[in-house]
Amino acid sequence: MGEPLKSYSDGYDAIIVGSGAGGGMAAYELTRRGMKVLMLEAGRAYDPLTETPMFQLPSDAPLRGDGTPDKPFGFYDATIGGGWDIPGEPYTVAPGSQPFTWWRSRMMGGRTNHWSRVALRFGPYDFKPYSRDGLGMDWPIGYDEVAPWYDKVERLIGVLGGSPQGLENIPDSPAGCLQPPPPPKAYEVLLHRALARMEIPTAPVRAAILTQAMEDRAACIYATQCLRGCQIKANFQSTTVLIPPALATGNLTVRTGAMVYQVDVDRHGKASGVSFVDKQTGEHHSVRGKSVVLSAGACESARILLNSKSQLFPDGIGNAHGKVGRYLMDSVGSGVTGQFPALEGLPPTNDDGISIMHTYVPWWGHGQQAAKKLDFPRGYHVELWGGRVMPTMSIADILDPSDLSRGSALRSALRSKFGSTISFAQRGEMIPNENSYCELDPQVKDRWGIPVLRFHWQWGETETRQVAHATRTFLEIIDRMGGKPLGHVEMDGSKAISKGGEIIHEVGSARMGASEKDSVVNGWGQSWAVKNLFVADGAVMTSSPDKNPTLTILALSWRNSAHLADMAQRGEL
Amino acid sequence: MSGPGKPIAAHAGMDRRSLMRWASAVAASLASDGYFGRGQAFAAPVAGAGYGRDPNLVEPKTPWPRTMSASQLGATMLLCDFILPAEGPAPAASALGVHELLDEWVSAPYPSQQEDREQILPGLAWLETEALRQGAKSFATAPAPLRAAILTRLEQMALADADSSPQARFYRRVRRLVIGAYFTTEAGFKDIGYIGNQALAAYPAPSPEVMAVLDRESRKLGLPIEMPPGFGAASTP
Repeated sequence: MGEPLKSYSDGYDAIIVGSGAGGGMAAYELTRRGMKVLMLEAGRAYDPLTETPMFQLPSDAPLRGDGTPDKPFGFYDATIGGGWDIPGEPYTVAPGSQPFTWWRSRMMGGRTNHWSRVALRFGPYDFKPYSRDGLGMDWPIGYDEVAPWYDKVERLIGVLGGSPQGLENIPDSPAGCLQPPPPPKAYEVLLHRALARMEIPTAPVRAAILTQAMEDRAACIYATQCLRGCQIKANFQSTTVLIPPALATGNLTVRTGAMVYQVDVDRHGKASGVSFVDKQTGEHHSVRGKSVVLSAGACESARILLNSKSQLFPDGIGNAHGKVGRYLMDSVGSGVTGQFPALEGLPPTNDDGISIMHTYVPWWGHGQQAAKKLDFPRGYHVELWGGRVMPTMSIADILDPSDLSRGSALRSALRSKFGSTISFAQRGEMIPNENSYCELDPQVKDRWGIPVLRFHWQWGETETRQVAHATRTFLEIIDRMGGKPLGHVEMDGSKAISKGGEIIHEVGSARMGASEKDSVVNGWGQSWAVKNLFVADGAVMTSSPDKNPTLTILALSWRNSAHLADMAQRGEL
Repeated sequence: MSGPGKPIAAHAGMDRRSLMRWASAVAASLASDGYFGRGQAFAAPVAGAGYGRDPNLVEPKTPWPRTMSASQLGATMLLCDFILPAEGPAPAASALGVHELLDEWVSAPYPSQQEDREQILPGLAWLETEALRQGAKSFATAPAPLRAAILTRLEQMALADADSSPQARFYRRVRRLVIGAYFTTEAGFKDIGYIGNQALAAYPAPSPEVMAVLDRESRKLGLPIEMPPGFGAASTP
């Protein structure tokens, strides 16, 4: 990886910007189809096989591995050169906006090295939301068109999940797509029983983690967090699953440290390549390609489009109707933690498992919404964090805040309460709105003189009501389980809701649609304005269902890259 | 020796702006009567860099120097062991280097650690001045009964006035850090009952012993005795 380009005048069949879920999948498909591909990655080369801290302990790390501005998710998190802010690569939030925060990484594989691995399919409703409730906009494609690509992705990257349950708008995968799930963790059994009493379903989580070995990838060993990356390739990272086979074709050239800022266009309005800054030397380069795939991350891809100004596109590519950067969405997030005496007496259990929950709570409210019993549309799923997992510097949080014990009383309290808490995390759907978007900041530039993004953010009432519902639900679950909430619980949804961008599911900033007037790309992720330019990341999403976006980014990127390869074969580029 | 009247933090290498802030804080504290306020002035910020955005994760290193004086470290050690002394097979906090972690912590050039520094170093100075006030040469060398009395008084202040006094905030913060630092070690794992971080060929379903407790508790709560669906054979104990 990171090999120098032989010659910038060569010209590639395709230039892919970014190496995460969208870029990695595009490289996988295009190189296998025989196209000569250049991948440009803003970060450095990264090898999970030698750089992953698999069994290192908190006590081996500075500050016991606790988060810092350098590593906000903890020392061992597989994020390089990134975080909520990156020196020299600022962004701004417009005055009067609600808070927005932007997580980035600068490494091969992008954010696929860091993600939770929760891999949920969008359902049929999620592609046609406007038709169902008159809010937002329909996608130009439906579930049936994406389903075969979900099947292919699940088989390729390895996704564990349960047997079919027939839940509304939670598509079951066909036989042979999913690997078997690990058994539920002990605390999840008790939780399931409380939820069953409330007529709320649970399901085995779907996660991009192997429970059975696959080619050169080992099965999960049920230890060390996926967030650190995986040396044995048991989880999905673009760097272990997509980039190596793409490289093996001999058709992929990777250039790291290349910060793309512009798609270049010729006088006919076709993409002729991209321009980038070599981050080490500060030199600007242009490289030619017959097609360009933007997969830099939803906001970064929008920024590149906006910065691609020319005589033909004075406001940036695809922005004639002002749609680039618009309809930015993130998952709705909130959380409550409960402590449960019923879990205190359990014999010791090893709850590491696949490092995330084995059971989750899919959205259950469609019936209530049909009966008009809920005051918000769409829904959320619930992610769970509980059990006896490796203690962190925050372990004292499991104690009652009024407990100031020490010595044997303190030890005794910690031993009994360890593993007796469950954190409930809401992940919900946001409806796109006119007040949540990104644009170029008129003044601020990055260290290379490239205009940066300015964010505008506003949660809608639909989201804050959803959060209030989640909070009430969490308190009821805690009560049913005989527990008590830990710490202050904010009942006001507008205060309990996460910051924009905080859940790191930002999508929608170059959405697909049925016409150029209301979207940036068509149903293939193909730019309306520049036919040989594709967007292959979360930017293309027309809605942002509660399901985590990565699996869908992969499915869409594969589908749309196959379309691009078909076009290339037909000589249409 | 450190304590009132002597700067306790390394300030070599501080930039001009930090030095000015520090000098202003010293001046302000000298004008006040409180021991604690006086100690606060000596919590000069540390200079230097953190580990950056791309540290070696496989062989971690802490790049910043520890800045506590010997007497501060000694007082910290006594405070750590006051909170978690040795008990049966469980070692004392100091045996696990918890006091050294606290030194590393308050010496780290990150905002939240620097906030802790501003709370903890004055707290240590308060321990020192309390010992001096009662005739000892320093807290660390004071007779054990006097040290115990001072620490117990500190604990009582924390119990009595929650977060309203600097002493209470100091004690609560140190206690939280001591608990974190202790139970993130292998000895701490053993003590608290964490048995993970072991490679397993398969993840086991809850054992019959675990299920017996879950069933008993479920009955108490009036919950149905059933297993989560969708796991197939995987869910059977």
